[in-house]
Amino acid sequence: MNIEESKKALFTAIMQGEREQANGLMDDYAAMSNYRTAMMDVMEPVLEEIGSQWNKENISLAQGYIAGKVAEDLLLKIHIEQKNDAAIPVEKGQIVLGNIEDDFHSLGRKLISIFLQSAGWRVIDIGNDVTAAAFVDKAVETGARIIGVSAMMYTTAENIKKVREEIDIRNLTGKIQLAVGGAVFKLRPELTQEVGGDGTTANGFQAPRLCEELWERSIREVPL
Amino acid sequence: MTSMERVVAALQGTAADRRAFTMTLSLYGAKLTSCPLTEYYTRPEKYLQGQIAVAEQCRPDILFTPFALPLEAQAFGSEIFYLDKSPPNIKKPFIRNPADIGKMKMPDIDRDEGLCYLLSSANLLADQFKGTVPICGVLTSPLDLPAIIMGVENWLEILLFDRVKASAVIEIMSVFFVSMANRMFEHGVTFIAMAMVFSNPQFLFEKTIVEFVVPALSAIFAKVNGPIVFHHGSMPIAGCLPLYRCLPNIAGFVLDQRDDLVEARKIAGENTLLLGNLEGPTLGKISPALALEKARKILENRKSDAHFIFATSSADVAWDTPLETITGIYDLVETYRGDHVQY
Repeated sequence: MNIEESKKALFTAIMQGEREQANGLMDDYAAMSNYRTAMMDVMEPVLEEIGSQWNKENISLAQGYIAGKVAEDLLLKIHIEQKNDAAIPVEKGQIVLGNIEDDFHSLGRKLISIFLQSAGWRVIDIGNDVTAAAFVDKAVETGARIIGVSAMMYTTAENIKKVREEIDIRNLTGKIQLAVGGAVFKLRPELTQEVGGDGTTANGFQAPRLCEELWERSIREVPL
Repeated sequence: MTSMERVVAALQGTAADRRAFTMTLSLYGAKLTSCPLTEYYTRPEKYLQGQIAVAEQCRPDILFTPFALPLEAQAFGSEIFYLDKSPPNIKKPFIRNPADIGKMKMPDIDRDEGLCYLLSSANLLADQFKGTVPICGVLTSPLDLPAIIMGVENWLEILLFDRVKASAVIEIMSVFFVSMANRMFEHGVTFIAMAMVFSNPQFLFEKTIVEFVVPALSAIFAKVNGPIVFHHGSMPIAGCLPLYRCLPNIAGFVLDQRDDLVEARKIAGENTLLLGNLEGPTLGKISPALALEKARKILENRKSDAHFIFATSSADVAWDTPLETITGIYDLVETYRGDHVQY
């Protein structure tokens, strides 16, 4: 199969919930090159397409979940492959990711973590129920220029304001960009501004693109 | 006509004195009575006082038992937390690892505090309104409750990849749901309503719904001793109504605010009760005038539809919603004359 045929077959397998079949397609493609190439040539464009279909509400959560699982399976294979490969691709920057204080809905965060890693970002996932101070401490400690905060509900999303305040109090405004997301942000797009977010994305599939923008903005405002 | 007669008329498609109307004002009763939510969601008499205030000041044709679904998950071991202006929510699901689902046991519905509160509230409401105002018993769908006991991710993983384990979970959910629903009917609720998220093709694969969800619901609903209203959860459902029409004891469907009412009626058929579709939780974010405009459009759209109840869609009407908005909608409904109205 060529690239286009592989992309089409992978998209179809994911849409039909056929995880094993999708994994097999990636194995076949990697056999001609490697898993990193399979990720870049096939998986990433398919994730982009799924994201675009998600925005049109043509994708179910289960289909998105399967996409995440297949990407995760592929990431694992890339990690194994890279242990034996001298030409490890240069990673993009670090991103601290977590669910805000009082929020325990981790599914979206985990999918975003997978999609960001698939795009080459180094994700530092600090879990659920994370305080504002813990987010900023971890970003400072690791040199991350993006903090990604997830919240599912309005009541917990309001706690994200504390992360905004913590960033500002420590004079890290601009240097550390605050990405926000979760189901409630889709329902209430104005919430990003309300909680002091620097950006959001309509879905997890497009998180890598948002992070590119935020990273560039951070470098522009506070150069390395 | 009493509210009960009006709602029954909508169910039967017969003439009424005005359009039957309700808003999900479970939470709002606490605001009207200035009741702290830690008391409102633990003391049935406080909940009753709140709903009496709702009945007096907002005059809906349907009242609700506490819309506090996490209390059901709490009975299974999930931790909940209380908020100042919203119903309690899940802090930590009981099951963190799908391998632990064997730890999930049927709670004792006569002893668990949260479940006793839900059942007592139903009892007090039914006694108070004695057949004049329908009481809607709010329960979590047996397909959705596992998600707040073990987290969405774990339940999705099991549903998609481990049908044996999923069936074992549903077996427990079935016993629990049927026990709670039938106990609520014994206490005098008129019907049960439940939000259905893990039954929607926007959430699951249609094949999972057809092969697993619908047969499971069918078996469960058949054991329930009263009517069930199928609530859209948080997603449009008009397009998938045919999937659920065969379910036993289904009395009607609450539509999403994004559902096209004309299309929904076409798909549902002429005689199916439909409810909705004014978005409830965001009413406080718009002006009372805009809320009225939206309400009027819905009434106009369903002007000649005798099987329609004007209702809010989605979750509870938010705490910060001005009372003026709610009473304004009631006044509009009261004076609006649809084609099915008997003068």
